Amino acid sequence: MTWLAWRQHRMQLLFGAAFLALMLAFLLPTGLGIASTYRSSGLASCLSTAGRDCGELSDSFIGRYSRMQFLIPLFLVLPAIVGMFWGAPLVARETEHGTHRLAWTQSVTRSKWLNVKLLALVAATLAGIGSVAWVLSWWSRPLVAASDDRFNPGIFDIRGVVPVAYALFALALGVAAGTLIRRTVPAMAATFTGFGGVRLAVALLLRPHYAAPRSTSFALFGRGVGTGQGDWILSTKTVDAAGRFVTSGEGLDLNYVSRHCPGVNPSPGSFPSKDALTACVRKLGLHVQATYQPGSRYWRFQFIETGIFVALAAGLLLLAAWWVRRRVS
Amino acid sequence: MSAVVATGLGKRYGRVWALRDCSLEIPEGRVAALVGPNGAGKTTLLHLATGLLEPSAGSISVLGRRPDRDPSVLPLIGFMAQEVPLYRTFTAGDMLEFGRRMNPRWDEGFARKRLERVGIRPNDRVGHLSGGQRSQVALTLALAKRPSVLLLDEPLASLDPLARREFLKALMEGVAEDGATVVLSSHLISDLERVCDYLILLSASRTQVAGEVEQLLETHRVISGPRKDGAVPAGVAAVIEQSSSERQTTMLVRTEGPILDPAWSVQKVGLEELVLGYLGQPNATALPGPRLAPIRMEVS
Repeated sequence: MTWLAWRQHRMQLLFGAAFLALMLAFLLPTGLGIASTYRSSGLASCLSTAGRDCGELSDSFIGRYSRMQFLIPLFLVLPAIVGMFWGAPLVARETEHGTHRLAWTQSVTRSKWLNVKLLALVAATLAGIGSVAWVLSWWSRPLVAASDDRFNPGIFDIRGVVPVAYALFALALGVAAGTLIRRTVPAMAATFTGFGGVRLAVALLLRPHYAAPRSTSFALFGRGVGTGQGDWILSTKTVDAAGRFVTSGEGLDLNYVSRHCPGVNPSPGSFPSKDALTACVRKLGLHVQATYQPGSRYWRFQFIETGIFVALAAGLLLLAAWWVRRRVS
Repeated sequence: MSAVVATGLGKRYGRVWALRDCSLEIPEGRVAALVGPNGAGKTTLLHLATGLLEPSAGSISVLGRRPDRDPSVLPLIGFMAQEVPLYRTFTAGDMLEFGRRMNPRWDEGFARKRLERVGIRPNDRVGHLSGGQRSQVALTLALAKRPSVLLLDEPLASLDPLARREFLKALMEGVAEDGATVVLSSHLISDLERVCDYLILLSASRTQVAGEVEQLLETHRVISGPRKDGAVPAGVAAVIEQSSSERQTTMLVRTEGPILDPAWSVQKVGLEELVLGYLGQPNATALPGPRLAPIRMEVS
C-alpha cells in the first residue's frame, strides 16, 4: 500500500519538495541579510530599549525590504494549493477514471487504502508547510518587530502554527470535496472557494472574539493605541466629551470643526492653524476610543485558531472516510 | 458451498431500483454466463458481489461470506470491471507490482509469464496499449490474484473477434488449474456459448433462467406442427414462445419428457435461440426447483 501511495503521488510530492527547496533557497540567504541589517542598523538594540523612539530606524528598515511583500499573498494561498493539488485528486482522480473499482477490489480494504494515502499526505503536509512556516516566522521576525504588526490580519495568518492547521484543513477539504464531487477539476475549484470562504469567515467574524477585546481611550493627536506590544487594534473612533460619535478612525472632520468651533477657520477653504485646532479639540473634549486585543494574547489566539482548523480538518476527513466506505462505488 | 448466492437482493439509487428481488445461486467450479439485456442489473449484481456496493435489500454472499461486511473474502474474489480500469501512467510492470503489493496470494511467476506470452513488455505504458492488450493486463491482474471466484463484467464488449478468442482462451487456461468459479456477464450469449457451462438470464433485474447449460439444452426444444389453437403435444411443460403462420405453429418449449406425437417435428435448440426466446417473454422462467438439503447419515 505504501508503495502504491508513493507510486501514485510521487509527482505531487516531488513538486512539493521542489517548491519547498526553492522557497528555502530564497528565504535562507535573504533571511540572513534581514537579520544582519536588523542588528547593524541599530534597530535591534533600539527596539530592545524601552521607551526609545525607533520610528525613523523602523521606517527605513521596513522601506528597504518593502518589495518582499509579495510573499504575503503567496503564503496566504499556499495551503489552498496543497488542498487543490494533493487533496482534491486523491479520491476524485480514481472515481473519474473508474480505477477505484480496480483499487478497491484487491485484497486491501478501501478503508486501509484511504488511511495509508491520507497518512502519507498528512505527514508530507505537516513536514512541508511546517518547515515553510517555521522558516518564514524566523525570516520575518525583524520585519514584524519593526512594524509591530504580528497580530494583524494577513501577518498573523502566515506565521506561527496556524499555517499548518490551514494546510491540514485545505487538504481535508480537498479530499472530502473530491470524494463527494467525484471529479478532479470541480473538486479543486470547490476546495479553493471553500478554503477562501472559511478562512475569511473565521478571520473576520470569529478571530476578533476569541477573547473579549479590551477598550481604551486617549486624547486625539496623542500617543495612539500602539503601545509597542504588538496589539491588534480592532476599531477606533473619535468621540466628543459626551461620547457622541464624531468620526471613525482617529481624525477630525473639518466641517465638524467649523460647525462647533466657529471662527477656527479664518476663511472658507483654508486650513485652520494648529493652535486653533488644538484649542477646539480641547474645548469639545474630543478623544479617541479604541478596542483591541493585547499583544500578549498572540499565542493564545494562534492556538485557538489552530484548534478550530484542525477540528474542521478532522471532521472533513471522517466524512470522506465514511463516504468512501459507504457511498462510493 | 455455492460460489455466489443472492437472496432477495436489491440495490436502489434514490427511488430507482437498479436491481430488485434477485435470487440466484451459482455452484462452485462453474463457468457461468450472466446474460441479460442492457440495464438488467448485471453490473450492479457484480458490484454487489465484489463488495463495491452494499445491498439496499436482501443479501449476497460469496463463498458463504458477505463481501460488503467481511473483507476476509476480498482476496478470494477476482474482478474485472466493465471499463477495464488500469492506471494509465503506470507501466505494465508497475501494474504487476500493484497486484503483488495489494494481494497476499499473488502469483508473480504466473503474471510475468502471462504478460510475456501475450507480448506485453514490463516497460510498456498502460496508456499506450491497445484495448485488447489492456484487457489482457487486467485479466492477468485478476488471475494472478489466484481468486476462487472470478467475476468479469462484459470483458469482451470492447474487443474485436480475434481478441475475444484470445481473451477467452487465456481465461480458460488461467482457471483450468485451480478450478475457480467464473462469472462472465454479457449482453450477447454468442460470445460465451463455447466456454460456459452454466447460464443465468437476468431480465428487468429478475432471474429468469438459471441452470446447467447442458440440462437447459436437453429440456428445451423447438417444435413445429399443425396450427391448432392452444393445443400442445404431450411432454411439453411450458411454452416459452410461439409464432404461427397460416397453417403451422412453431414453439420454443420446455419439456418434461420426450415428445412423441408424430404430428409435431421436434428440433434441438441452440443456446442463443433459447436465450432470445426467454428474453422475448419476460414472464417465462426456468429456475431450479426447491432442493432438498442433503441428509447426512451418521453412524455411531
